[in-house]
Amino acid sequence: MEVNTGFSPIDIAVSGLRAGSKRMEVISSNVANARSTDNGNGEPYRRLEAVFKTDGDGLGGVILDEVAEDMSDFQRLLNPGHPDADEQGYVSMPNVKMPVEMMNLNVAARAYQANAAVLKRYQQMVETTLELLR
Amino acid sequence: MSKTTSIVDIIEAGISAESLRQRVIANNVANLETAGYRRLDVRFEELLAKALNSSGGVDLGEIECGTYQTKNTPVKSNGNDVSLEVEVGEMVKNTLRHKALIRVLQKKYQQIDLAINVK
Repeated sequence: MEVNTGFSPIDIAVSGLRAGSKRMEVISSNVANARSTDNGNGEPYRRLEAVFKTDGDGLGGVILDEVAEDMSDFQRLLNPGHPDADEQGYVSMPNVKMPVEMMNLNVAARAYQANAAVLKRYQQMVETTLELLR
Repeated sequence: MSKTTSIVDIIEAGISAESLRQRVIANNVANLETAGYRRLDVRFEELLAKALNSSGGVDLGEIECGTYQTKNTPVKSNGNDVSLEVEVGEMVKNTLRHKALIRVLQKKYQQIDLAINVK
């Protein structure tokens, strides 16, 4: 028997919070690796992007779908002294763009705040109901 | 304990389950970074529902409220599956359930008080 479904707004808000922190994790990885010229496979670091999908049939909140790689081109920088430079002296740099990451960071932080606000408001709503029992 | 229909007994069982759950959540949060730790939860509502369905009253002795390891939780790289967000959500839910039960109990005592002090 299914019980405890009465607080589903809380579960949905929590799923949003978890999605927000995952997004933050991906952004911090991008920022930290903004100048990593070697990912171990002879390529520079590829920017990551967290992809989300709805959980269940629409009212189940959000769930991480995958952490996908951004396949856009690497930036090329002339730096002949660099150990990873090619014959022409160019180094492939990661396709991380700092302004984009900073903007995404703001969006992730605001989304996290919004989910926390939903959780708090729902908590207040239930407490209002409980006031009727006084 | 034999079958009971007393609302006070049932509320008491619920409140003690919530106290246990609050301790379990605190334990989960304390082990947020402990490698290999798996989060615990308290099984009570399912057992109460089962005890309620089989007969009219509730056999509270049948309910053994205990902890269990939750399944299907995403495990981090250090073998730990505690997420702070989930624990906060569980704690909010637990607090609301607790408040609801306390209010119902308070209401019940008000009724008893009314019956005693009727003039």
